[in-house]
Amino acid sequence: MTTPDRLAPSASPRLVSPSRATLLLLIVCLGSALLSLAPLGGIGAAFSELFTLHSSEPEALVLHYSWWPRLSMSLLAGGALALAGVLMQQVLRNPLAAPTTLGVASGANLALMVATLFAPGLLVLGREWVALTGGAAAMALVFALAWRRGLSPGVVVLGGLVVNLYFGALSVVLLLFNQESLSGLMVWGAGSLAQNGWGGVWYLLPRVVIAGLAAVWLMRPLALLELDDASARSLGVSLKWLRLGGLGLAIFITGCAVASVGIIGFIGLAAPNIVRLAGARRLGQRLLWSTLLGALLLATTDLLLQGLSGQLPTLIPTGATTAALGAPLLLWLIPRIRLAAQRPPMATQSLGHRYPLPWRRIGGFAVLLCVIAVISLVIGRSSDAMGQYHWQLTLSPEVLEWRWPRMLAAAGAGVLLAIAGTLIQRITANPMASPELLGISGGAAIGLIVAVFLVPGPSNLVLIAAGTLGALATLLLLVLLNARSGFQPERLLLCGVAITALFDAVRSIILAGGDPRGQQVIAWLSGSTYYVEPGSALIVVTTAILFALAVIPLSRWLDIMPLGAATSRALGIQVEKARLGLLILVAILTACATLVVGPLSFVGLLAPHMARMLGLARARFHLIGAGLIGAVLMVLADWLGRQLLFPQEIPAGLIASLIGGGYFMWGLRKL
Amino acid sequence: MKLICLTLSLVSTSIFAAPRIASLDWTLAETLIALEAPPIALAQVADYTSWVGEDVPAGVTDIGLRSQPNMELLAKLAPDTIILTPMFTNLVPKLQTIAPVVTYEFYRPDKPLWPQLESMTRRLGEQTGQQEQAEALIRNSEADIEALKDLLSDDQRPLLVVQFMDARHVRIFGKGSLYDASMQRLGLTNAWPEKPNAWGFNLVGIEQLAKFNDARLVIVEPRPVGVEEELERSGLWHQLGSVQRGDTLVLPPVWSFGGLPSARRFAHVLVDAMTTTTEAAHDDA
Repeated sequence: MTTPDRLAPSASPRLVSPSRATLLLLIVCLGSALLSLAPLGGIGAAFSELFTLHSSEPEALVLHYSWWPRLSMSLLAGGALALAGVLMQQVLRNPLAAPTTLGVASGANLALMVATLFAPGLLVLGREWVALTGGAAAMALVFALAWRRGLSPGVVVLGGLVVNLYFGALSVVLLLFNQESLSGLMVWGAGSLAQNGWGGVWYLLPRVVIAGLAAVWLMRPLALLELDDASARSLGVSLKWLRLGGLGLAIFITGCAVASVGIIGFIGLAAPNIVRLAGARRLGQRLLWSTLLGALLLATTDLLLQGLSGQLPTLIPTGATTAALGAPLLLWLIPRIRLAAQRPPMATQSLGHRYPLPWRRIGGFAVLLCVIAVISLVIGRSSDAMGQYHWQLTLSPEVLEWRWPRMLAAAGAGVLLAIAGTLIQRITANPMASPELLGISGGAAIGLIVAVFLVPGPSNLVLIAAGTLGALATLLLLVLLNARSGFQPERLLLCGVAITALFDAVRSIILAGGDPRGQQVIAWLSGSTYYVEPGSALIVVTTAILFALAVIPLSRWLDIMPLGAATSRALGIQVEKARLGLLILVAILTACATLVVGPLSFVGLLAPHMARMLGLARARFHLIGAGLIGAVLMVLADWLGRQLLFPQEIPAGLIASLIGGGYFMWGLRKL
Repeated sequence: MKLICLTLSLVSTSIFAAPRIASLDWTLAETLIALEAPPIALAQVADYTSWVGEDVPAGVTDIGLRSQPNMELLAKLAPDTIILTPMFTNLVPKLQTIAPVVTYEFYRPDKPLWPQLESMTRRLGEQTGQQEQAEALIRNSEADIEALKDLLSDDQRPLLVVQFMDARHVRIFGKGSLYDASMQRLGLTNAWPEKPNAWGFNLVGIEQLAKFNDARLVIVEPRPVGVEEELERSGLWHQLGSVQRGDTLVLPPVWSFGGLPSARRFAHVLVDAMTTTTEAAHDDA
């Protein structure tokens, strides 16, 4: 990239050092510990109850069985996650890799849900083993996807994100239909450090120690990964096995921590980055200070939160809160992190051949869309007088009046997301870009959540307004944060990921509270055409068609921009202005679509990809093809969602991500 | 009338034919069934059975999720009225195209629950032409609980009513919850002093229970799998006053956000458990 990276801390490196940052945090941590001990009898009482219980007074019980184990657990888990973060970032050469972004946490979560519902006997053997198995399976899937490419960092991150989204979608399906039975897992999923004995600490401690020793043993070969692939290979290192070993160790640590205390976001991301910013360069330094800093970071947050949540009627899970607090810090960090100037190794050109007759292919898509649209209108399940459900072909207007608005809205949303996805993938020349990753969907969803919880009995109009406001606020934030770097693609995506993480955290906190309104939030967030009315369906479709027509004249920009900022400028494009304009367009498209199908759908990522893989290389054909594929996917997803579990409905956004994610993983394997 | 009626477009219900009602809410459905005017359609029938702990009469059609009832199916069933709670008001405009919609609100943080449940029951009685049954349900619930009260000795410990979410966290029910309303009627004290959320519960870690060593612990099932085993290993759990005395109670599932029938059921299972364990204690002595 030609835009110069502004290098990190403006403060002089003499003033800020890893040890000083850690010391400062240690002081804060001790201070909050003293504060939290005050109502329990102070520091003296605390130490006398540390190893043996001296009385059966409630204060003593809490100190011995809860306060100390909780503090130890937060230190251990924080340290473990930070250690895992350093390893992952080192292996993937990506400052934003983290334990939670590689599918491990969501794999563990899904495994626990499935076990709770279908094989509760397994949980008796130990929840941690179920969680570990799930996490390992998710990571194995990611490895399988990236194996052919020698576990190259970009492909691993992409695979991790996709597996994350895919497992996340599966979990939401389970949750939607079993909210009451799974409410305990919501607490776990949001990461709570509450302890009532020393068992958890004794489980985690030996594992973290062993993993730490292994990390020290692997340190020297891992340091070679800072070189580029060719130089490292010339030193006789098997990159594939080294990466496998490093990542495997990181997953083991993450799995143990996740099994003990649930999903704790952000520590594994933040601690290594803070240490790096504070001036730690060598791997050994980073491992040591990150682990200490991560431990203190989690312990301090948890102590402060315990003080706070005493005042509130609900439990505030620490894990989700660290994630929520972490997002702003991440947004602050992003402009200060030096990003590798190189692109992720897999650029668009590897995505398949160019098909010689694009119009014929587009015609094929259009015919397919019509066929699927008609099927979704006239075929469906219904009940007879006996209350039995069976398939029916119907043309009766009373039934069609319920179906057509949903079909149209699904198609419209598909087109909108597909175009937004095509634009963002072309602007950033990055096939893992999508509206979801830009954070705009997440912003719209935060707006919706706020409305559901603050406005008693909100109407759809209120919800739509709130969603739009959220999307616009996100856009404003993106513009403010990126104006100075000239909307440099990587930074933009990183900001988006941070905002999406904030949304995830807010969602987890709300669901963990166990409020019955959670069901409504899940229903909205999973992306359903359920709430569409004839009027809004027509608006969505019209908007989609208008935007599609408006975007086609921009295809010259889109053909050139993937070639890089320098080339684009040489060909007479004002890069900053073009990026800003396209960005606003993407934001509007995404906001409109999110309000219909929720923030989870894969379509914005998938449709442009499929169009590209099917040989539509020029921007104009790419846009039209992606739009049609997006519509096909969403209409199909909506229809299946309405029929599969009749009379219950699975939201179209979820089905789309299940179909789409499967296809995508298959495609990624071949990549 | 404490009830908010957002869209009151009640058709003049004929006194002769029972109206065909579709209910999106389990509490309203539970009350209707107790009034002998069961709804023709109900959301999430299977979950209703396991969480409310009662069977649904034959002939009730399942219309899918509470938050997203199946519109095609609902339109085909053509109910006279659709009833719901404010949680689902965003569905009202759509549902109104099928049938008039009536919204009932009874869980309100600012008002005591019992009178709210009574007026909700009366309104349902008026709506279904079952006024007598409604009055009878209100009377019987009170009389029933009054009779149960006599079975209890006066020197009862305060109670902590919890539902386990996992081995480390419980929902603890305070003022404004259905369980608390029942306990008040029974003359029992709720030991939990904190202000709960709008639904009458707090979500807390079990170390919070250590402060209430005098209180007797009441556990409402279902307990998630594995919780019992994990509690066996938990040091704190064994130190809790109630566990040490061995006077904890385990109750079968009762719908925690229910109406009068659930309140009555809770009183029954609670008093049953209290009297049998007390007798057992006496036998031991």
